[in-house]
Amino acid sequence: MGFHRRSFLAGSTAAAGALILPRFAIGQADNRPSITIAVQQIANSASLEILRERSNVGARTFSFIYESLITQNLLGKLESVPGLAESWRRIDDKTVEVTLRKGVKFHNGDEMTADDVAFTFSRERMFGPDYDIASNKTLFTNVLIRDNVQGMTLPPEVPAVAKRLWPALEKVEPVDKYTVRFVNRRPDPTMEGRMVSGSSIISRRAFTEAKNWLDWARVPISTGPYKVREFKPDQSLTLDAHDEYWGGRPPLKSVRLLVVPEVATRINGLFAGQFDFICDMPPDQIPGIEKNAKFEVLGSTISNHRLTVFDKNHPQLIDPRVRQAFTHAIDRKAIVDSLWSGRTAVPAGLQWEFYGPMFIKDWAVPEYNPAKAKELLKAAGYKGDPIPYRLLNNYYTNQTATAQVLVEMWRQVGLNVPIEMKENWQQIFDKNSPRAVRDWSNSAQYDDPISSIVNQHGPQGQQQQVGEWTNEEMNKLSVSLETEGDITKRRAMFRRMLEICEREDPAYTVLHQNATFTAKRKDIRWKASPAFAMEFRANNFAMS
Amino acid sequence: MLAFALSRLARAAITILFVVTFAFIVLRLSGDPALLIMSVDAPPEAIEAFRKAWGLDRPIWEQYLAYAWHALTGDFGKSMRDGRPAIDLVLERLPATLAITLPALALKLGIGIPAGIYAALHRNSLADRLTMMVSVAGFTMPSFVLALVLVLIFGVTLGWLPASGADSVWHAVLPIVTLGTAGAAIMARFTRSAMLEVLGQPYIRAASAKGLAWWLVVAKHALPNAAIPTVTIIGFMVGSLVAGAVIVESVFAWPGIGRLLVSAVANRDLAVVQALLMVIAAWMVLANLCVDLAYGWLDPRVRSGAR
Repeated sequence: MGFHRRSFLAGSTAAAGALILPRFAIGQADNRPSITIAVQQIANSASLEILRERSNVGARTFSFIYESLITQNLLGKLESVPGLAESWRRIDDKTVEVTLRKGVKFHNGDEMTADDVAFTFSRERMFGPDYDIASNKTLFTNVLIRDNVQGMTLPPEVPAVAKRLWPALEKVEPVDKYTVRFVNRRPDPTMEGRMVSGSSIISRRAFTEAKNWLDWARVPISTGPYKVREFKPDQSLTLDAHDEYWGGRPPLKSVRLLVVPEVATRINGLFAGQFDFICDMPPDQIPGIEKNAKFEVLGSTISNHRLTVFDKNHPQLIDPRVRQAFTHAIDRKAIVDSLWSGRTAVPAGLQWEFYGPMFIKDWAVPEYNPAKAKELLKAAGYKGDPIPYRLLNNYYTNQTATAQVLVEMWRQVGLNVPIEMKENWQQIFDKNSPRAVRDWSNSAQYDDPISSIVNQHGPQGQQQQVGEWTNEEMNKLSVSLETEGDITKRRAMFRRMLEICEREDPAYTVLHQNATFTAKRKDIRWKASPAFAMEFRANNFAMS
Repeated sequence: MLAFALSRLARAAITILFVVTFAFIVLRLSGDPALLIMSVDAPPEAIEAFRKAWGLDRPIWEQYLAYAWHALTGDFGKSMRDGRPAIDLVLERLPATLAITLPALALKLGIGIPAGIYAALHRNSLADRLTMMVSVAGFTMPSFVLALVLVLIFGVTLGWLPASGADSVWHAVLPIVTLGTAGAAIMARFTRSAMLEVLGQPYIRAASAKGLAWWLVVAKHALPNAAIPTVTIIGFMVGSLVAGAVIVESVFAWPGIGRLLVSAVANRDLAVVQALLMVIAAWMVLANLCVDLAYGWLDPRVRSGAR
């Protein structure tokens, strides 16, 4: 058979067609939409490593990429639900056995097995080579970050975060291909809870094959519904659907998170049709957006409470009655109604309903009672000496306006609280001049008070670490709560902690629950989560 | 001319050294990068480890000497947030900034200079007053206000141009117009006043009295002499090519040097801020050096030091 130029061309065309057509057909079949979400920031640390980026903006970003063994119901009340774990059971008070979901694929196509889970909690990836389980002290890799570019040495903050998430984890051992055991050094009733916030599983092969830690942190491989295509820190993150996702084919072909720092620009971009969703909307912008019938603002309270925090070493605050007066002088509802348009709530102290059996239903923040506040101040012999309030300019939403309202409320009961504007946290914590009052917010990473009141106000919590406040009974209770397994005793301990920290010897007072607002096109059917995380799986996206 | 150029070069080097040293000290006194990068809720041990890892626990003079030594060898340090060489991050963003500031400069010169000349040649006419009115409006309006007005008109209402981002050539149009408008207005006013000053000089009258055509008087005698004050303004504009778009880049979410500067300062990413300031200072100094040399070339009295 002769081989001519014409037959060669015909054959080549047919071969090329055979190669191209199926792909073209697939491309044609994939008519899923792609969306653009304008955000204030993607990740503060310029990396996508969940152990390094522990911010609110990071929580939103990671909801696309990572998944935990046990997760939160983002379309419910954040209650714990199975994630990559099919089930789990307690072997004893120090051991939890987890049965993994079968057929879960990583973004690189590998199947998730017990080996990947064990590796996720290894020294190599999480705790660093110097980790000493016998020691309570956090140890760090002592290699400069600049050297990390050449190798997989962890930045010092990674083992520090790991140790905080898992303070007494002895080992995670595979039992078989789909079973692992978490073994703790001491009894810990919150091990399952820690799995919610600290068990995002990664691919062992992807981590070990990465050229260096930084490369890994730019394109982490986990099992979430979307995988990283391109990450440009401070600019954009492009994600593609992970079509082998165990929970069903994602409804979006791709998602682009775009950093647009200016609120006005985000709103204009939404109105101009450039963005489908815009995040981090201040409450005062909501009416303006909703005037346009094509758009709506969704939002809800999140698992983060705003607090006013006291330094009880300040001469005027040594007497707890003065701090109690602060707490009774605040009309929290007025703040919620005026500054948040009623779109958030005053919670029942430093706790959340998703605590389940640990939620103390009959607890409440101190009542608004100016007369009682005045009596307390009189009894304490307060003479109107200044009690400085160190303030950052809107680090938190509505922070400055809230501070101005608070100062007026306190003034009405006789408290003299001058605002001192500060530029950064170092100035807020500066001990060279007397500290007294400051702002803070506390989150709960999982469904137990250890994740909030103990972690933030207990002996290892920030407030005690910076020397603002301490209480012997609170510290004893913190240690006990970490190891006690009996739910009735645990509830009693937690109630007592709330009494100490919020009433008797106030460490802080809760102002209101925080909220986050997202504006979007009305023709997209989508539900916002009561968290920073955004849910874009198959059950939560449709076009009208 | 060589001695003149060398003295200017020495002055330029001292200026850059001063800027870098000043920035080094002020940055370290104005906030702890460990708290900013690792967040206020990070464990205290982690913050300490971070400080140690980056040498922030050492005395400031020791940090400065180490920085200066490395800088002399071309190592400007690594970003604390990103881990990559700071100078790479800066140079990576430079093209995006130049993509809007260079066309904006062309707009400033292309509109500002002819408008200023025209207004000066038609002094006190309706055209002159209109030109100056527009120019006053142009340079008094803050760039972020103008930017938002342009976005509302062309992005939101008419839908002709993208409101923000940097995905295509069309995305650059509004940032360029925003940057160019104020600059063109300033240029027009300076050119007009420089021209008016020169047009009142005796040698212009003499040239006219000789019977020279008016356009030749303007082209050969007025324009070259009006160039010196105009060159000063052009020098400033060229100097601001690198860092003159901070606000506009933020408003339009344009990923250039300006946004890098804002985020690096906010996060106290020390090496990046220092690298940025060094590049900005070097560029500004280079622009001023060029202006000085241009003066020398345009006016022989300057290079000879004569009064």
